[in-house]
Amino acid sequence: MAYASGQLPTTDVDHTYTTTGLNHRKLLMWTFLSSDCLFFGALIATYMVYRGQSLVGPYPIDIIDIPLTTISTFVLLCSSFAMVQALAATNRNDQRGIQLWLLATILMGATFIGFQIYEFNAFRMEGLKIDTNLFGTTFFTLTGFHGAHVTLGLVWLTILLIMGRKGKLGPAQSLDVEIAGLYWHFVDIVWIVIFTLLYLIGGFDAGPTAGLLIEPSLLSLPT
Amino acid sequence: MATATNVMARPASASGLWSWITTVDHKRIGILYGVTAFLFFLLAGIEAGVIRMQLAVPDNTLVSPDVFNQMFTMHATAMIFMAIMPMSSAFFNFIIPLAIGARDVAFPRLNAFSYWTFLFGALLIHFSFVVQQVPDAGWFSYANLSEKPFSSGQGIDFWALGLQVLGVASLAAAFNFVVTIINMRAPGMSLMRMPLFVWMTLVTSILLVLAFPVITVGLIELTMDRAFGTSFFNTAGGGDPILWQHLFWIFGHPEVYILILPPMGIVSEIIPTFSKKPLFGYPVMVFSGIVIGIMGWAVWSHHMFTVGLGPVANSVFTITTMLIAVPTGVKIFNWIGTMWGGSIEFKTPMLFAIGFVALFIVGGLSGVSHAVSPSDAQQQDTYYIVAHIHYVLFGGSIFGLFAGIYYWFPKITGRLMHEGLGKLNFWLMFVGMNITFFPMHFLGLNGMPRRIYTYSSDFGWDWLNLVASAGYFVLFAGIVAFLVNFFITVKNGKLAGHDPWDAPGLEWTIASPPPVYNFAKVPQVVGLDHYWLVKRRAAAEGHPITEAEAYVDPETIHMPSPSYWPIVTAFGVLVLAAGFLIEFPWPYIKFPVPIIGGIISFIGVLGWSFEPAAPEAHHGSEDHH
Amino acid sequence: MLLSPPDRADSPAQVSFRRFPMNNILKSTKQWFQGKHLLALGILALSLVLVACDANAKQSTFGTAGPVAEKQLLLFNVLMWVMVAVFVLVEGALLYAAIRFRRRPGQPLPKQTHGNTVLELTWTIIPTILILGLGIWSVTTLFELDKPPASAAGNTLDVTVTGHQWWFEFEYPNADGNGTVITTANELRVPVGRAVEVLLQSDDVIHSFWIPKLAGKVDMVPTRNNRLWFLADETGTFYGQCAEFCGTAHAQMKFLVQVLTQEEYDAWVAGFGQTPQLSAAAQAGQQVFNGAGGCVVCHTVNGSDNPAIVAGRMQGFLNTEVGIAPGPNMTDLATRQTFAAGLIDLNRENLRVWLTNPEDIKPGNHMASRATIYQTADGRTSLTQTQVSALIEYLLSLK
Ligand code: HEA
Ligand code: HEA
Ligand code: HEC
Ligand code: CUA
Ligand SMILES: [Cu+2]
Repeated sequence: MAYASGQLPTTDVDHTYTTTGLNHRKLLMWTFLSSDCLFFGALIATYMVYRGQSLVGPYPIDIIDIPLTTISTFVLLCSSFAMVQALAATNRNDQRGIQLWLLATILMGATFIGFQIYEFNAFRMEGLKIDTNLFGTTFFTLTGFHGAHVTLGLVWLTILLIMGRKGKLGPAQSLDVEIAGLYWHFVDIVWIVIFTLLYLIGGFDAGPTAGLLIEPSLLSLPT
Repeated sequence: MATATNVMARPASASGLWSWITTVDHKRIGILYGVTAFLFFLLAGIEAGVIRMQLAVPDNTLVSPDVFNQMFTMHATAMIFMAIMPMSSAFFNFIIPLAIGARDVAFPRLNAFSYWTFLFGALLIHFSFVVQQVPDAGWFSYANLSEKPFSSGQGIDFWALGLQVLGVASLAAAFNFVVTIINMRAPGMSLMRMPLFVWMTLVTSILLVLAFPVITVGLIELTMDRAFGTSFFNTAGGGDPILWQHLFWIFGHPEVYILILPPMGIVSEIIPTFSKKPLFGYPVMVFSGIVIGIMGWAVWSHHMFTVGLGPVANSVFTITTMLIAVPTGVKIFNWIGTMWGGSIEFKTPMLFAIGFVALFIVGGLSGVSHAVSPSDAQQQDTYYIVAHIHYVLFGGSIFGLFAGIYYWFPKITGRLMHEGLGKLNFWLMFVGMNITFFPMHFLGLNGMPRRIYTYSSDFGWDWLNLVASAGYFVLFAGIVAFLVNFFITVKNGKLAGHDPWDAPGLEWTIASPPPVYNFAKVPQVVGLDHYWLVKRRAAAEGHPITEAEAYVDPETIHMPSPSYWPIVTAFGVLVLAAGFLIEFPWPYIKFPVPIIGGIISFIGVLGWSFEPAAPEAHHGSEDHH
Repeated sequence: MLLSPPDRADSPAQVSFRRFPMNNILKSTKQWFQGKHLLALGILALSLVLVACDANAKQSTFGTAGPVAEKQLLLFNVLMWVMVAVFVLVEGALLYAAIRFRRRPGQPLPKQTHGNTVLELTWTIIPTILILGLGIWSVTTLFELDKPPASAAGNTLDVTVTGHQWWFEFEYPNADGNGTVITTANELRVPVGRAVEVLLQSDDVIHSFWIPKLAGKVDMVPTRNNRLWFLADETGTFYGQCAEFCGTAHAQMKFLVQVLTQEEYDAWVAGFGQTPQLSAAAQAGQQVFNGAGGCVVCHTVNGSDNPAIVAGRMQGFLNTEVGIAPGPNMTDLATRQTFAAGLIDLNRENLRVWLTNPEDIKPGNHMASRATIYQTADGRTSLTQTQVSALIEYLLSLK
C-alpha cells in the first residue's frame, strides 16, 4: 500500500461513494423486505397450523369465493406491470407516462382493496367474524395485514403521484420510484403465496375432520 | 433540494437539552443508548435484589407472591430488552462508524428514531408500575396463562405492547447497521479486514432483522386474543398454547445469540490488543460467528423438551443444540490461542475479557448438559437453568459489555477510568457472581424449581439460598465500585490520548473524544489490524505519525443537521401501541387512540421525508434528495 | 505528534484521590494462594461440592428411587464428569496462558502468529466427536425412556393426572384391574415395583408433573394428552412439584407420592370411598358442608366426580368472578398426610387456619378467591367458629 510514511493513509472519494456501489436506501429496502418475509412467514405458518382446526363453521369451503378473488388477484398482478412502466417512464422522463402509470397502479391497487373490503363484508354477513373460529381469526389477521401493506403502498404511491403532477419526478428521482416499486412488487408476491395457500389449496377445507391438534378427548373443554 | 415542500426548517442548536433531543450524531445517540440502558440495568439489578432477599431464608414474607412474580418478570424483561440489547446497541452506535472509517451511520435520523422508540417502549412497560398493573407471567409469558381468563389485569398488555415498541426500535437499529456495515466501509476495508466486533455486529443485526418479526407476530396474536377475543392461543376456541412457545423460541433462541455475539466481538478486540498479538485464526473466528448465527435457528425446541413433542423431535433438537458447542468452543480456543505466546497486560478491560471467557465456559458447559434432553427433564425449570442463564448472560454478556466500557471509555470521554477501582470492580463482580450463581447449580439439582416465591425449610435448600443471597451484596458492591469509578473519572480521569492501549482499530487513529465528523479525511485501510500495520511501519521507518486533522479545515465538512422528526415519529409509535390499553365501549372502533398514534407517525414520516437536507450533504448519507 | 488539546496524553494525572492500594492487596492475595493454602482451598471446594449435592433432600435429583430417574441421573453424571474434564482443561489452559504469558518489563513485541490450521482443525474435530458420542447415547436413552420396558407389559397401572390452579387431581380409571374408578387429589398412591403410566392433562393453564426422585418432568398442557411413566423401587413417601409457572400459587402446587406394598395398595383400593362413620359433631359438620358452607358446590366427598358436575365447575370458574371452581375431591380426605396440594400437614389446627381464611396458608388460591363464604371484608369466613369446628370434625371423619 502506498502512503507516505508518517501519515495516516487516507483517500479521496466523492460523496456518493458506497462500498458496494449500491445506494443505501435500496439496500435498506431489501433488508426491510427480508424482515417482512419472516413477518408474513410467521403469519402464514399460523394459518397453516390451524388449517382444519376450526371447531365451528363457517369453514373455508362454505364461503371462500375463488373466482372472485382470482379477479382481484389478477388486478393486483397487473398493477405490478403498471409499476414497472411507471419506473420506465421516470427513467425516460416521460412526464405523462409517469402520471399515467402511477395512477394506473394506484387504481388497480385500490380495486384490490375494494375487493377485499367487499369480501370481508360478505364474510361478516355470512357469519364469519374474526372471533368466530380459528379460520376467521387466522384468515382476517393474515389477509388484513396484507391489506394494510397494500394500503400503505397506495399512500406512498399517491404521494409519488402528487410529486409527479407537480413535475418533480424525473430520472433524478428514479431511485425514489424504484424503491416504492420494490415494495409494491414484494407485496404482490406475498399475495400470490397467500392466494395459493388460502384460496387455491385451503379454500376447500371443511370442519375438523382431518384430525385436530387438540386431542379429541379434550374437546369437552369448557367454553 | 425540495425547498418548496419544506415543512419545517431543521433545528440548529448544537448544545443544551434540545440539541440532545434533535441530535442525529451517532456518537451522541450511542451515549444516550448507553446511559439509558445502564439505568435500566441498575433497576433490573435492584429487582434481582428483591428476588434474592425474598429467597434468602425459607418461608420468607418480605414480598407477596404477586410482587415476586412481577419482580422476576420485570427483572428478566428489563435485563434482556432494556439493558443488554441497548447496551450492545450503544457500542454499535458509537464504535461501528469509527471502526469502519465512516462519518456516521447510513441513516442518522433512523438511528435517532430507534433510540427514542427504545426509550418510549421501555417507559411504556415500566409505566405498568405506576398504574399497578405489572406484568407477572415471566419473561416468556407462556400462553395460555397470559390469556385474559388467567391474567385479567392489564399487565400482559403492557408487556406485549411495550415489547412491540422495543421491537420496532431494535429493527430500525438493525436495518441501519446492516446497511452501514455493508455499505459504508472505508476504501480498503474488505469484508475479511473487518474487525471482529464489526463482523459480530453484522451477524447480530441480521439475526435481529430475521428474528424480531417472528416475535412481532406472536405478540400481535397475543394482543388480538386479549383485545379482540380471538383464539390464537386460547384453548376454548381451539387454539393451541404450544404455538406461542414455538413462535417465542424461534425468536428466543436467536435472541440469546443476539445477546452474546456483540460481547464476543468486543472481547475479540480486547484480547489481541492486550496480548499484543493479532487475533488467532481470524477467518475461523468470523466463520464460527456466522455458523453460530445460522445454527441458532435450528435449536429452538430445546426450550420445549418437556412439552411432549415426542422422542423424534427431542432427538433432533438434542443433537443440533449440542453441536453449537463446536463453533463456540472454536472461539474459546482461539481466544486462548491469541493469549498464548503473547505479552499480556492486565488492564481492567483485559481482566473483564478474561473473566468473560472463564465464566462463559461454565455457562456453555451447563448449556450442553441441558441439551441432553433425557436429563434435561430433571433440570428444566429449576435453578440449574437459572445458573446457566446467569453464567452466560451475566458472566458472558455483562462481563463482555463491561470490558467494552473500560476499553472504549477513553475513546468516548477522552479520559481513562481508574485502574485500581477498575480492578476492584472486576474482582468484586467476579467473586460475587460466583458466590451468587454457582450454588444455584446445586439448588436446581437438589430439586428447587425456578419462579417460586418461597420454599419451606425441610427441602434442604436453605443454606445454598442464603449463600446466593449473600453473593448479591458482593455483586452490588462491585457495581457501586463501577459507578464510583465512572463518576470520578468521567470529569477528572487521566487524559487518555487518542490511542491509550496501542490498539489496532481504526477508531484509535482519531482524537478522543472524536470530533463530530470522526475522520477529517476518509481513511484508506491497509489491512486487518490497520492501525498496528501503520504504526509499526512508521516505527520501523522512524517517522512519527501526523494526525489526519492536519490535512483539512473541519469547517468545510458538513454533517447532517439535527431533526425533530425522529422523536415525533417515535412518539406516534408509542401512542399507537399504548392506545390499545385504552378501550372505548364503541361498536366498531373499540380502540380509537391508536389511530391518533398512526396519524402522528404518518405526519412524522412525511415531515421526515420532505425535510430539507443539510446545506451540503456529506458523503453517503440518506440526507440528500 | 500533532494532537488536539484535550488529547494530550502526557498531561499530569488528574485523579484527585489517593491511589487505591490494589497492587498490595493483589500481592498479599497471591502469597496467600500458594502451597498449603491452595491445597486447603481445593479440599474445601471439593467438600463444599459434596455437601451441596444433597441426595437426601426431599426433591433431590441425586436420590433416585426408580429406573427412570436413575437412567437420567447416569446420563447426567457421565456428562457432568466429561464437562468437569473439559472445564479443567480449558480453564487450565486459560489460566496457564494468562500467567505464563503475562507482560514482563521491557519485553519486545511477541511473535505475531495468525493461526495454525492443524491446531484449529484439532479443536474442531475433537469436540465434534465427543459431542456426537454423547448425543447418540442421549438419543438412545430418550427412546429407551419413552415407554415402559416390554417386560412391564400387562402389569402397569394407569393414572390420569389433571393439573388445576393450583392442585393435582388423580384419577385411576382402573385401580384394581376390575374397573374400579378412583378420583382423589394431591396424594398419589402407587404400588412398589410396578410401572405406572401417567396420562397428563390440564384444564386451565400449563402445569408440569415432576417427582424428582422417580422421573423427570413432563408438562401438562391443556390441549395435549402427554404421557410419562415411572416405577418406584422402594416404598415410602416421595415429593412432587408443579414445575411450570402457572400463576400466583405456582410455588405451592405440590403433591405427595405414597409408594405402598402391593397389599397395602390393594387394601387402600378396596376400602376407598366407603361411607364414613360420622359422630354427632361430624354430622353437624356435614350439614354445614352441604348447606351453609356451600362446600359441595366445588368439592365431591363421596366417590368419583360426575363429569357433568366437573364441567359445570370449570365453566363457572372461567365465566364468573365468584362462586365456583373445581376443587379437590375429598373422598377419604382424612387418610391423607397433607392438604392444600401437599403444602401442609393435615391436622385440626391447620384445617382451622385454612377454613378460617385459606389465604393465610396459600395466597391466591381459588377457594379463597371464589367461595362465597370468603367474600368478606377481611377475607375471613362468614361461618362461625362453631361451624368451622364442626366442619373439621366432619373432614377428619372422611376415611
Ligand atoms: C447469552 C445467552 C445464552 C447463550 C450464549 C446460551 C448458550 C447455550 N445454551 Fe442457553 N439459555 C439462555 C441463554 C443462553 N444460552 C437462557 C436465557 C435460557 C433460559 C430461558 C428461560 O427458560 O428463561 C437458556 C436455556 C437453555 C436451554 C433450555 C433449558 C431448559 O429450559 O430446559 C438449553 C437446552 O439445551 C440451553 C442450551 C444452550 C447451549 C447448548 C448453549 C451453547 O451455545 C453453549 C456453547 C458453549 C460451550 C459449550 C462452552 C465452550 C466450549 C468449549 C470449551 C468446547 C468444548 C466443549 C464441549 C466438547 C462440550 N440453554
Ligand atoms: C440479562 C441478563 C440478566 C442479568 C444481568 C441478571 C442479573 C441477576 N439476576 Fe437474573 N434473570 C435473568 C436474566 C438476568 N439476570 C433471566 C432471563 C431470568 C429468568 C426470568 C424468568 O424466569 O422469567 C432471571 C431470573 C433470576 C432469578 C430467578 C428468579 C426465579 O426463577 O424465581 C434470580 C434469583 O436469584 C436472579 C438473580 C439475579 C441476580 C442476583 C443478578 C445480579 O447479577 C444483578 C446485579 C445487579 C446489581 C447488583 C444492581 C446494582 C444496583 C445498584 C448498584 C444500584 C445503585 C442505584 C442507584 C445509585 C440508583 N435472576
Ligand atoms: C369456590 C370453590 C370452593 C368452595 C365453595 C370450597 N372450596 Fe375447598 N377448595 C377449593 C379449591 C380450588 C381448593 C384447592 C386449593 C389449592 O390447593 O390451591 C380447595 C381445597 C380445599 C381443601 C384441601 C384439599 C386438599 O386435597 O388439599 C379442603 C380441606 C377444603 N378445600 C375444604 C373446604 C370446605 C370445608 C369448604 C366449605 C366450607 C370448601 N372447601 C369450600 C375450592 C372450594
Ligand atoms: Cu402448576 Cu406451576
Ligand atoms: Cu436456547
